[in-house]
Amino acid sequence: MSRQDNAAGSVKARADLALNDEFLRKAVRFTTERLRRGKKEAAEEQGSWEEWRERGRQIRLHTIAHLDYYLNLFADNARANGVHVHFAETSAEAVKISLEIAQQKAAKTVLKSKSMVTEELHINDALQAIGVEAIESDLGEYIIQLAGESPSHIIIPAIHRNRFQIAELLSEDAGMPLPPDTSILAGYVRKKLREHFLEADIGMTGCNFAIAETGSMVLFENEGNARMVTTLPKTQITLMGMERIIPSWADLEVMATLLPRSATGQKLTVYMSGITGPRRSEDADGPDEMHIIIVDNGRSNQLGDPELQELLSCIRCGACLNACPVYRHIGGHAYGGPYSGPIGAVLKPALQKNVAEWDDIANASSLCGACYEACPVKIPLHDMLVYLRRRKVDAGFGDKAEAAGMKGFAAAMGSAKRMKLAVKAGRLAQKLVARDGGIRIRLGPLKGWNTYRVAPILAKRSFREQWRELEHELQAELKEQKPDVQARMERAIREREAGKGGIGHD
Amino acid sequence: MTEAVTHAEWLAQKERESRVKQEAFLKGISSRLGRQRSMTPPPHPFKGAPDFWNVMDYDVEHRMTAFVDQFSAAGGHAVRFPDMEAAAVFIAERAIQLKARRLVRQDQPELAALDLEKRLAEHASVTAWNTDSGTAWKTAAAEADIGIVLADYAVAHTGSVVALSAAHKGRSVSLLPAALFVLLPAQRIRTRLGEVLAEFDRSGRAGLPAGIHFISGPSRSSDIENDLTIGVHGPGLVYALLVDAFVPADRMREGGGR
Repeated sequence: MSRQDNAAGSVKARADLALNDEFLRKAVRFTTERLRRGKKEAAEEQGSWEEWRERGRQIRLHTIAHLDYYLNLFADNARANGVHVHFAETSAEAVKISLEIAQQKAAKTVLKSKSMVTEELHINDALQAIGVEAIESDLGEYIIQLAGESPSHIIIPAIHRNRFQIAELLSEDAGMPLPPDTSILAGYVRKKLREHFLEADIGMTGCNFAIAETGSMVLFENEGNARMVTTLPKTQITLMGMERIIPSWADLEVMATLLPRSATGQKLTVYMSGITGPRRSEDADGPDEMHIIIVDNGRSNQLGDPELQELLSCIRCGACLNACPVYRHIGGHAYGGPYSGPIGAVLKPALQKNVAEWDDIANASSLCGACYEACPVKIPLHDMLVYLRRRKVDAGFGDKAEAAGMKGFAAAMGSAKRMKLAVKAGRLAQKLVARDGGIRIRLGPLKGWNTYRVAPILAKRSFREQWRELEHELQAELKEQKPDVQARMERAIREREAGKGGIGHD
Repeated sequence: MTEAVTHAEWLAQKERESRVKQEAFLKGISSRLGRQRSMTPPPHPFKGAPDFWNVMDYDVEHRMTAFVDQFSAAGGHAVRFPDMEAAAVFIAERAIQLKARRLVRQDQPELAALDLEKRLAEHASVTAWNTDSGTAWKTAAAEADIGIVLADYAVAHTGSVVALSAAHKGRSVSLLPAALFVLLPAQRIRTRLGEVLAEFDRSGRAGLPAGIHFISGPSRSSDIENDLTIGVHGPGLVYALLVDAFVPADRMREGGGR
């Protein structure tokens, strides 16, 4: 049941895979459209959405600007609550600590609720390697775990599978045929996981927000599985991105106003739970032992980087995915990482230090800015995509074919004679390749450009060739001007030549 | 017993490592931010919700109607009762209709006063949470058909009830049974989410229970073809029973249970 990484090949190849899948395209478009509409209605219903966004942005920027202070405060308070706090700079360190805890506890099963950080760490494979079974308990995550896939949407992980495919997967799991009926399928998972909930040795969660002033961690969810994971097993491990901090419970009101509305259009998720330490000695439920692992894994690369620091404001709502025309077309797996859509396109390369490993992911955007408009904490994602493209080119990882084409274009443009000859040659050559007013061939100087776009055919008569006539017409027009206008223009030209500058620009 | 000592030692070792690592980790952050470690609380000018929001306050009647609207919109059932007696009659009737065999309730005097044990004597067993040390309480809650809790707070604007954990208030009671009945005294409904959250800032770290749970309707999922399914892991049937005239039975035991 090892999870395929989906990271192989280029975005282009993965997107082609997705584009061939008619259902995926329809499903993704249907669901994202519904989520997007839900968000719009919820935002309108709440009112003054721009003020909420601005406040959300301010709180996140403030926390990140003082991250060392708030993280320290959180760690101290969590320890005072009886939590074992760990710090992990890399994913390998976070995995090592998790495995050590599992081994200490002689755990057989780890029951997980949805966590994007654990997707970054590939923790399920690591646990399996030491003989510990990791079981996803979120319905969508359970389904994709059976399929051996990674989530294709940050909020709805199995968005790309229909109920017939899901019925097939669950029937195999059940050892008996299950009909493709949503409530029966969900009922099966409920029953199956119930046994696991009561028997699992370790519960593993992510963390939506961590409250520095009281050392509490907060989870938003609709199914109740995260509550079970934090209530029933004897040991709880929470993996937390180091930027998940907010200062106080008062600040949680802003996040709780922005996150569910932006994610699903809900006023609040069915459950919002604040967990403050392991169970008190007199309590009859809750974990005996609680660990929080604070994970960097490339996040600090963005700290102090003026172009990318705001990425750490992200609250993982998925609104940018739902708004993105590219995501809606190619689906999540094309991005080849745990995070997809515009935020994935920026996070994936930003979390990696090695420029050579930067994928072509930042190119999977039309830079339309819909992601910024949708973002509840106003992260300028489209600007960041441009920064990343620039950095990639600066570092010498641009597209060689496209660069060669551009170089040739520059050479031709540098001389009128060469340009004339080139256009003439081109007009002859394009007769062989042009269709419907465009050129799609991916050969020679057009390879780089045409891999992703369609070049227009050359005009029958170029602007250059029309210029002589145009100039003539303009001259004629000038002659017909009224004398006073003519005099004013001539004066203006004289003044400009005398160094006085233009009219009305002083 | 030696193993327990070994584990405690291991935990102690891990804590020492963690504290060393913490210094390096935080120093790394502050140097990335281009300054020394910040050790004093920074000014926090944009705390909580915007000012215009914080003045919103419904009267008690408006809070009740708003709560009922929101809770119902999320798929929950909200019903108003003049007093606890009327609510008790309703719970007993519904339990019989639903053919419930086991009920589990929080161990609070107000819930004991509902006298469900007697009302349902012929039909179902009613157990109070964590009243002896011999019972596997989590299993007991998982086996129950109905869980009964008394809300500590509610939020009108979001249609949420709030349940705080304590020795006599299990987290499992509002989570594991198939159906959940929440008794909600009208005076505990606040207008905004922030009013309830402010209580936790006020009580501070040492005053908080292990579990604070905002519950806004039945458990749900849209993970299969975006088709709404109710009752995926938590209770699928959720009642909020609003009680107009509520008298806290025993303030000594009711006051947070810590």
